[in-house]
Amino acid sequence: MRQARQGVSLQAQPGRYIKENFIRGVFFVCAFFAVIITGFTIFVFATGSAPFFAKVSLREFLLTTRWSPLIEPLSYGALPLIGGTVLTTGIALLVALPLGLLSAIYLSEYASPNVRRVLKPILELLAGIPSVVFGYFALLYVTPLLKDLFFPDIEFWNALSAGLVLGIAILPLASSLSEDVIYAVPRELREASYALGATRFETVRRVVLPAAFSGIAAAFILALSRAIGETMIVAIAAGQTPTWPPHLLKPVETLTAYIVNVATGDAEAGAFVWSTIFAVGALLFVTTLILNTISYFIVKRFREQYE
Amino acid sequence: MNVDRGFRRSLLWRHTKSKLFAFLTATATLVGLATLAVLLINVAGNGRLLVAMNATAEAGLALALRSLERGHEVFPYVRVSDVQEGSAAEQIGLRRGDALVRLNGQAVARLSDVWRTVQTISEERVLISWIAGSDRLLGDVRAEVDDEGHVVKVVLDYVTPGSAAERAGLQPGDVLRSADGIPIQGSRQAWEAIVIATRQKPSPGPVTLEIERDEQILHVALYAEQEARLVLRKDWWRALWDFITRYESPRYAELSGLRSAVFGSLYVVGLMAIFVVPLGVGAAIYLEEYAQRTWLTNLIQVLISNLAGVPSVIYGIIGLEIFARAFALERGILSGALTLALLTLPVVIIASREALRTIPDSVRQAAYAVGATRWQVVRHHVLPYAMPGIFTGVILSLSRAIGEAAPLILLGAFQYVAFDPRGLKDPFTVIPIQIFTWVTLPQEGRANIAAAASLVLLIILLATNGLAIFLRIRFQRRW
Repeated sequence: MRQARQGVSLQAQPGRYIKENFIRGVFFVCAFFAVIITGFTIFVFATGSAPFFAKVSLREFLLTTRWSPLIEPLSYGALPLIGGTVLTTGIALLVALPLGLLSAIYLSEYASPNVRRVLKPILELLAGIPSVVFGYFALLYVTPLLKDLFFPDIEFWNALSAGLVLGIAILPLASSLSEDVIYAVPRELREASYALGATRFETVRRVVLPAAFSGIAAAFILALSRAIGETMIVAIAAGQTPTWPPHLLKPVETLTAYIVNVATGDAEAGAFVWSTIFAVGALLFVTTLILNTISYFIVKRFREQYE
Repeated sequence: MNVDRGFRRSLLWRHTKSKLFAFLTATATLVGLATLAVLLINVAGNGRLLVAMNATAEAGLALALRSLERGHEVFPYVRVSDVQEGSAAEQIGLRRGDALVRLNGQAVARLSDVWRTVQTISEERVLISWIAGSDRLLGDVRAEVDDEGHVVKVVLDYVTPGSAAERAGLQPGDVLRSADGIPIQGSRQAWEAIVIATRQKPSPGPVTLEIERDEQILHVALYAEQEARLVLRKDWWRALWDFITRYESPRYAELSGLRSAVFGSLYVVGLMAIFVVPLGVGAAIYLEEYAQRTWLTNLIQVLISNLAGVPSVIYGIIGLEIFARAFALERGILSGALTLALLTLPVVIIASREALRTIPDSVRQAAYAVGATRWQVVRHHVLPYAMPGIFTGVILSLSRAIGEAAPLILLGAFQYVAFDPRGLKDPFTVIPIQIFTWVTLPQEGRANIAAAASLVLLIILLATNGLAIFLRIRFQRRW
């Protein structure tokens, strides 16, 4: 209530600076948590996966094709898991890339302001649909549908429907992010293009998209990283059988699904199997970290171009 | 007009191409939205069966799927596993061990048949027909076995007084051979054959039982089916309320509920908010209001945006190691909440920073000009203006946390919980994980309650996200 006091003295108030510095310190600690968490993460994965890599060489882990951490003969080649992840995210990108990009172009370039005003929040709402719901949809709707319409021999768990639904799941994110980027391309560029007699398509293709390219790339790298890290859809719909080579219509196991598989199984804490999830987790963490960092720096460079 | 024809044609083509492309983009948007709409409609459609499931449960019936196996053929039938005391079902005479045969004249073979039929019947009083359990329909049935364990014959040792068998004139010592051509090869199978034979008739009627008495083959007409009207109340709100407030039942899908999951979600997400809001907003204030551009703040910013992209299952592993093991909090509510706090911290920081960034510097300068300290500027001027934006970010992080399943699976939320949590280390489960559990169960009706639970989850998320979007639009200010 210092401000309310009548006749404020203009003398320095040492208490005031102590308080200010204290508050500043508190806020700094809050922000420093980002460093602490990252440090913990690295520490946890380093110590957790150490017993694993003491026993299994990195070469065996990354380059051999049999993953059998529970059933004798034990074997720790993660390629089936990596293959499962690559296959499902590949299918997801095939869905999300064209649909996301085209819908972003529609929203930014063609939709009337009213349509845009309605669709953007809807997109955000859809981006919030939890992944278990998508998993449910993949397993109990998309797989039977694919079986009836296209692939009679598709199995109950399979990479295809998990991948397709994964694509649908990251679609709102991919679309929304790339729409932001496309929308941010300065108006003058478009108008200059129209002034030269270009059609809308030519403007989009030759002017807007090249200008927004790096941002769109960043958006899709982010969506890709989301798809790689996405867990519940693949755990529910893709199955839990590591297979090499992974097959479209057969069960596959992804890196994330394997972690869930161990966590839901009855392996005892402290058993060697637990150290495998650190190794798999570390691989996942490093992959997404690299992708996110690339995306971060692309966005940073892109922002500076127009601001 | 002296325009070259080739030029004119190319102009037309460019124009058409542009139109086609516009059409293509609109189609892509529509396809994306339509797929998501199909998802929502599918979830709602499957979840709707909850109403019928709750109706049979409320009438006092717990149902189970059984089947009669004959060679390669399998004939499923619906058995009444349990009847609640004093319920409507008990009053009309249904007992444990009975088999449901028809609803309003329509044969029912599976649980889903029962619920679909109940769903489509418009009146409340449903004509239900059933066959009494073996001991009340027939009596004591014994299978005679030869040395190798093969059934030689199935003998009716005792006929229950007042039973359908007695009315049909069956006597103790009769050998049961077949029911409407379905051979009887076991003591329990005698009754099952009668159930299947009765159901296969287009309308209620007698089954022809082939028996052997005094070395003579006889054919007896057995009226096995009983009929009565049962009140099945189909009420959406009641079904939903019962579903949310009931505990999970591992045996019966229609008696399963979300209670422990709802409690778990509330506790975990509530606790998470207590941790993440001060921490996240504090970090955002530091980065926006206090920090100079040093290597450390740059590092913090890069790390935050990286943490935002770390897969959620990774946080599960970190939470398990740090909170559950190193801090000895075990795999319980508190560990779950702290793990979700790690997960949502970047979301809150980023959203709050954006909210703070929209406040123009003139507001700060004006406050400094009258002698305010930095904290006073933040506390009395910047924060109040940024509040709606920060609040929006917090709500978004809550809704993200409510839908999150993967990290909590590692923190022990994948389990059967049938009590309300009391302490911070108590085991728990949350709504998305309950859905995951149900989806992976093959039992009939589980998919439907999984859909119903998804619907509950979607409604919660729609409400929270909708609120966030509303707040943003309502309080959006232009400076």
